[in-house]
Amino acid sequence: MFKYILRKLVALLPKLLAMSIILFFALELLPGDALSRTMPPDQYQALSEAQKDAAREALGLNDSPVIRYFRWLNQIFHGDFGYSASTGQNIGTMLAGRLPYTIELSFYGLLLATVIGLVLGFLSAFMKNTVVDYFCTSISVFGISLPEFFFGIVFIILFSVHLKWLPSGGRMPVGEHGFFSRVPYLVLPVMTMAISLTAALVRYTKNSMLDVMGKDYIKTARSKGLRETTVSFKHAFRNSLIPTMTLIVMRLPRLVGGSAVIETVFNYPGIGNMALTALNAGDIPVVMITTMTTGVMVLLSSTLVDIVTAMLDPRIRLG
Amino acid sequence: MQEKEYILRVQDLKTDFKVGRKTVHAVNGVTFDVRRGKTLCIVGESGCGKSVTAHSIMQLLPPNGMIAGGSIDYYTPSGACETLSDYKRNGSRIRAIRGKEISMIFQDPMSTLNPVYTVGSQIMEMLKKHEKVDRAEGKARIIRLLGELGIPNPEIRYDQYPHEFSGGMKQRIMIAIAMICNPTLLIADEPTTALDVTIQAQILDLIRRMQKNYGTSVILITHNMGIVVEVADDVAVMYMGRVVEFGSVEQIFANPMHPYTKALMKSVPVLGMNKDRELTVIEGTTPDASTVFTGCEFAERCESARPECFQRFPKDTVVEAGHRVRCLLYEEGGKSNG
Repeated sequence: MFKYILRKLVALLPKLLAMSIILFFALELLPGDALSRTMPPDQYQALSEAQKDAAREALGLNDSPVIRYFRWLNQIFHGDFGYSASTGQNIGTMLAGRLPYTIELSFYGLLLATVIGLVLGFLSAFMKNTVVDYFCTSISVFGISLPEFFFGIVFIILFSVHLKWLPSGGRMPVGEHGFFSRVPYLVLPVMTMAISLTAALVRYTKNSMLDVMGKDYIKTARSKGLRETTVSFKHAFRNSLIPTMTLIVMRLPRLVGGSAVIETVFNYPGIGNMALTALNAGDIPVVMITTMTTGVMVLLSSTLVDIVTAMLDPRIRLG
Repeated sequence: MQEKEYILRVQDLKTDFKVGRKTVHAVNGVTFDVRRGKTLCIVGESGCGKSVTAHSIMQLLPPNGMIAGGSIDYYTPSGACETLSDYKRNGSRIRAIRGKEISMIFQDPMSTLNPVYTVGSQIMEMLKKHEKVDRAEGKARIIRLLGELGIPNPEIRYDQYPHEFSGGMKQRIMIAIAMICNPTLLIADEPTTALDVTIQAQILDLIRRMQKNYGTSVILITHNMGIVVEVADDVAVMYMGRVVEFGSVEQIFANPMHPYTKALMKSVPVLGMNKDRELTVIEGTTPDASTVFTGCEFAERCESARPECFQRFPKDTVVEAGHRVRCLLYEEGGKSNG
């Protein structure tokens, strides 16, 4: 098990490297003067051609992309994320202020989706062809087929505008701190974020559980004289979780990456929101760092789920 | 008297399956007895209801299957009679019997062990369920049994997972699970069908040895006549959900009476037989399980069929002590049982 975890962590390095290469060179392909992406537009307009040339030389923009890639990578390794082209702020500082918010949102979203998805999935499997099953399965169709922002907007209209139970957006009341003052602001975005993964998990868990309950080793467990609850929870539950974990790994990029949309709908100051603002402003240095950060989050969380899966299934530890 | 001699008596067992809107009579009036300490072989081709009969005994039928009639009486060593056919599926009464009194080995050892638990813990689970033993003592007992079953390094193997075992070794683990609580009856449902021929003999040998050492009665389900002649004391030949012939292994092999049994015997290759001789096959195919019959189920494939065979059902006829056959050919001569 320890060896497996180590191997998974080592395998992260080439993945991260590949991601940074693709990201850097993809943005390199953007049309226009690279210099224009390092400063606000009005400032760029004011420069004469000679000044532009001097600035390019000073910033090293005349060097080959490969050299600039390694320079950029070196900076990142030293914790220097550069400066925003539109506001001139230190990107590291911006990130430090926003990343925890996004991590919080994604973590609770994942937790909520997993818990509710698994519980409802198991309920549907055990109460197959009952009202509970039909209810869960038909609700999940909506969750799978409608986009998240739709639910975000519906939730705002319902819970904020009409019922006035919860704030429609933001992070916490001005001048307040602490978890409990944040909770009301988290409820709607977390719910919105969790909804499509929950829906997918309900169906998947149900099918997986029904599949496992038909396996021969379940018959073996019954032939031992075990209680039906022991058979379901000890023998079927753990096995049915294995394919479900794969689904979670596959959906993680959507969950973490999809936070940009949700953060925008709820005006939530996370990195998704930051990335979107930067994209609109053509602020390439910020786009690079936020995209990279999102990618790192996806990689780390999928590695974590891989490790959980290996804990559940001894066969994976070998592979 | 009976209770001493017999461990299990199955009377006119009927098991139905709901398939869509249709009801299929997978087992249609099966009667047989298992003698204490002896081996009964149930033979027949695929789909004849052998497995369903075994699963009915353990109340392990899939959700769409149910016992529709007849009785299964199990006589405990203390002489009490438990009517298994009346027990609720997965209820507490059948659960007290499963594993402790009657245990079962299944066909495909590749899928009968839970992949996420060590084999040791899967055997321990059975032991802990039915007996009060502390962990260390239980583990010692399991390791001893694993050694007895020919598993090398049982101390190391105890903590390994099923995927680290070969098919034959997995089947040995299944036997260990089935035998750890010293059941009085072991049901082996085609235990060697999924295994290599060389391993088959070893597994059968183990089952026989376990039976001898622990005095277990065995129901062995197979379609292999070679296995039957080697291990059986009694034989029940099944066709289309019915026992067509029942008798001791000597009676069945020396004097097969039912045309189906005779045909089965002829279709078995024998070592040393003429290579150019073609194997006899039974003409036609097994009818669909939902076919409705007006007469003998075997009539249309039977060489000795008479017009009468298609018109009425044959009754069980006792042809000699302990040997009965369900065929119109013998009804006049023998003493009718039904």
